[in-house]
Amino acid sequence: MKPARVMLVDDTPTRSALLEQALLDQGYLVVCRLESAQGLIKNVEIHQPDIIIMDLESPDRDTLENMTILNQHNPKPVIMFSGEGDSAIISQAVQAGVSAYVVDGLNPNRVKAILDVAIARFREYQALRKELKNTRDQLADRKVIDKAKGLLMKAKDLDEEQAYHAMRKMAMDQSKPLVEIAHNILSVLELLTP
Amino acid sequence: MNSADIEKPALKLGYMPLSDCLPLLIAQEKGFFSQEGLTVELQQEVSWSNIRDKVIVGHLDGAHMLAPMLFATSLGLGGIKKPLITAFSLGLNGNAFTISNQLRSALTDVNSNQLAHANTMKLLIEQRKTAGLPRLVFATVYPYSCHNLQLRYWLASAHIDPDKDIDLVILPPSQMVDHLKLAHIDGFFAGAPWNSVAILQGHGHCLLTGMEIWKNAPEKVLGVTLEWAEKNPNTHSALIRALHEACQWLELHAEEALPLLEQHLSLNSPLINRNCLIPAITGKNIFTQQSKQSKAPSLLVFNHSMANFPWLSHGQLICAQMKRWHWLPDDVDNEQLVASCYRPDIYRQALTHLEMPNDNFHSTHLAIL
Repeated sequence: MKPARVMLVDDTPTRSALLEQALLDQGYLVVCRLESAQGLIKNVEIHQPDIIIMDLESPDRDTLENMTILNQHNPKPVIMFSGEGDSAIISQAVQAGVSAYVVDGLNPNRVKAILDVAIARFREYQALRKELKNTRDQLADRKVIDKAKGLLMKAKDLDEEQAYHAMRKMAMDQSKPLVEIAHNILSVLELLTP
Repeated sequence: MNSADIEKPALKLGYMPLSDCLPLLIAQEKGFFSQEGLTVELQQEVSWSNIRDKVIVGHLDGAHMLAPMLFATSLGLGGIKKPLITAFSLGLNGNAFTISNQLRSALTDVNSNQLAHANTMKLLIEQRKTAGLPRLVFATVYPYSCHNLQLRYWLASAHIDPDKDIDLVILPPSQMVDHLKLAHIDGFFAGAPWNSVAILQGHGHCLLTGMEIWKNAPEKVLGVTLEWAEKNPNTHSALIRALHEACQWLELHAEEALPLLEQHLSLNSPLINRNCLIPAITGKNIFTQQSKQSKAPSLLVFNHSMANFPWLSHGQLICAQMKRWHWLPDDVDNEQLVASCYRPDIYRQALTHLEMPNDNFHSTHLAIL
């Protein structure tokens, strides 16, 4: 059996690189990776993919949809993967942000296998992004807290331990996160300091 | 109605950032949804395909939707098959045909007295063919859209074959102006505010509006799945009442809605500002490069002229045109298809306090056929 030819359209290169590697590992052929639908139709003609995987949140989806049966000049009909009666997989795909277009009737089982890989990678990427954001937020919080602590030390002539302690107490008394207390201190002290 | 009868009080509705999504924004902002016992989350989408897919799989309860999409999806054309219905039109008209400045001057050379006449376009197309020039490229926003159908209708009125004599491409509305500027396309047929954006930036000229092609044309509808409507009849009615309130409010206070619209439409589009929203919303004028030209009273109708009634004749107009271009299989019974997707019965039930038309057909729409 010839390996299925996959085309990826995704404006997030990190994600599509992840997906490409995963597909290659499973023995599929990634014939083309595009960041937008610019030149999409031409690339479909050149690379002859069996399936196109596209980021659901790309505004270019409507352009791709036009390559459906409406386009009578296109010898290869492109249809959206509909998986007859298998709406669970479609729902999963939509949730994960994946859309798939099948060219010229690729076997539904093979479509599903490819789609499963794509869904898994898109989810993984979502989780990665979330983790990265958490780390960044924590770092940013750390900076704000340190800055507030510094200003408080200067303003109230406290040592580091005392300043930190005072902030912790305020946070507990007002049942607010420490970072919010730090923001409040910053806004007040920055107002008072010329 | 007692809000306890509402089957599903928390709803998620999708919309595309276009001027005619306003009834949804206003129903939220003015509390018309909550008056009906509904808590609605509005979700902005990036493509019509997304709107359709998210409604189909139930991630959205309903959405701002292109009317022809109801029929295409109910038949499974090019995608997932799922019966969709509407019992509420979000308004009438709103589209226009904007052409590049180069195309405008070429048309002027052909016949400056009848610039907006399809015959002038036909003559130009023939001249270009003889001269060995490439085909003109026009863009619309989605294959199964009234935009596409109206442009085709106009072109065909002068025997221009939209599948052979020109290239018709699909682009997201937000990319139209850039493609026009870069001369990738010679014109586009899209909804508000994108025509005004192109014109105000000096990249185009409004050749004609959609209502010069179809008077009181169907455009966007509140689309839901048949399954959802059957499961949530009271919720559906409440939704229709809230949106009707919003449309009535807009009829009187459209200008007041401009800041809200600007806020939502400029979220992802730096090109949008207050000025380009004014023409369609106030209907006062549409701009040409040279002058403010009063061309468009009722460019976008929210409520008057029974704009919210889901006319079966609107459905028939759309289906007849879809069949004309062989998008619908020949054996499809148009009347049956329309009756399954357009549901004036639900509209009538939801809004019993309103004066209703006797008939579900309107002669104006049938005259276009």
